[in-house]
Amino acid sequence: MMAKVKLIKRIGLVSLILMAIGGGIIYYLFHMPHRNVQEAKVDYSLKASDIVQEYLSNQQEANQKYLDSEGDSKILQVTGLVSDISEDFNSNIVVLLRSPRDSAGVSCTFSPETNKHINSGQLGKVITVKGVIRSGASFDPDLSMYENVIMEKCDVQNN
Amino acid sequence: MKKISVLAILTVVTVTLFSFKPLIGKLTTTKTHIKFFSSTPAEDIEAHNYKSIGTLDTQNGEVVFSVPMQSFEFEKALMQKHFNSDKFLDTKTFPKAKFVGSITNLSEINFEKNGTYQAHVKGELTLHGKTNPLQEKISIQVIESLLKTTGKFTIKLADYGIAFEKGKPSTNISKTVDITIDAEFQK
Repeated sequence: MMAKVKLIKRIGLVSLILMAIGGGIIYYLFHMPHRNVQEAKVDYSLKASDIVQEYLSNQQEANQKYLDSEGDSKILQVTGLVSDISEDFNSNIVVLLRSPRDSAGVSCTFSPETNKHINSGQLGKVITVKGVIRSGASFDPDLSMYENVIMEKCDVQNN
Repeated sequence: MKKISVLAILTVVTVTLFSFKPLIGKLTTTKTHIKFFSSTPAEDIEAHNYKSIGTLDTQNGEVVFSVPMQSFEFEKALMQKHFNSDKFLDTKTFPKAKFVGSITNLSEINFEKNGTYQAHVKGELTLHGKTNPLQEKISIQVIESLLKTTGKFTIKLADYGIAFEKGKPSTNISKTVDITIDAEFQK
């Protein structure tokens, strides 16, 4: 009799623990945090011209290398000449790193926390930006223009 | 005598050149906002993308939008992963979506006069590697040198090879989704 009660209590306890773990997992999945790009490790450090050339010579290969199948694509640290500074629809600063001899550049979108790190005084200067890549450079025949590499969640690196 | 006639000719030429209104031609913008919205009894899912490029040719009515798929952001990280995965939009294989079309009632729109115009746009949407015809109404508001365009349409996910039979996706993502586009062009 005592043994049976003990067993039931044990089973009950184990079930509770399993349910708590299960609940924890579900809670975590539901509230899984987005990757913090600025705190993540840099995958590639390179010049804006280099990644643009890589994409223009072989778009498929570059996409395989830089994009991730679940959207957590490579974290890049890109150095280039600031050729344009603008604001997107969401009021975030967009910096274009592009050398005058290249057909396309690397467009870097900042965020509410990092927008203040860019000012018009940086136009014409060479800076290093860390961010996540979203899409590569290519010539689009329908747009009839070159599209830039797009990076988001950017911040300036002090080099 | 010679000096005056050269000056006169230069003046006439300059005045003539400046008296013509500059033709606007093709406009390009990166100031865009695309919203994707799906509603089911289980939950509402919303995603925003601010990285699309749009072109609008005011002379021949051509409209093109290129959308980098990995720029769609969801509130829930898990949802964003599912969206990008090969079970849904497979954005690593198909990193861009594209709309190519033209305004069929171009003569009804005066890009030089302030006001709001309803443009009928007819074209093709390529998403997840599949292309289908798409017709939509875009509202174009002309305010001096700014053209504010906005459009809303619905697409059937199955038309683009995005179908799922059982499991969470079938109950939490609706079979048709609403897309809203906002874009600002500068003349």
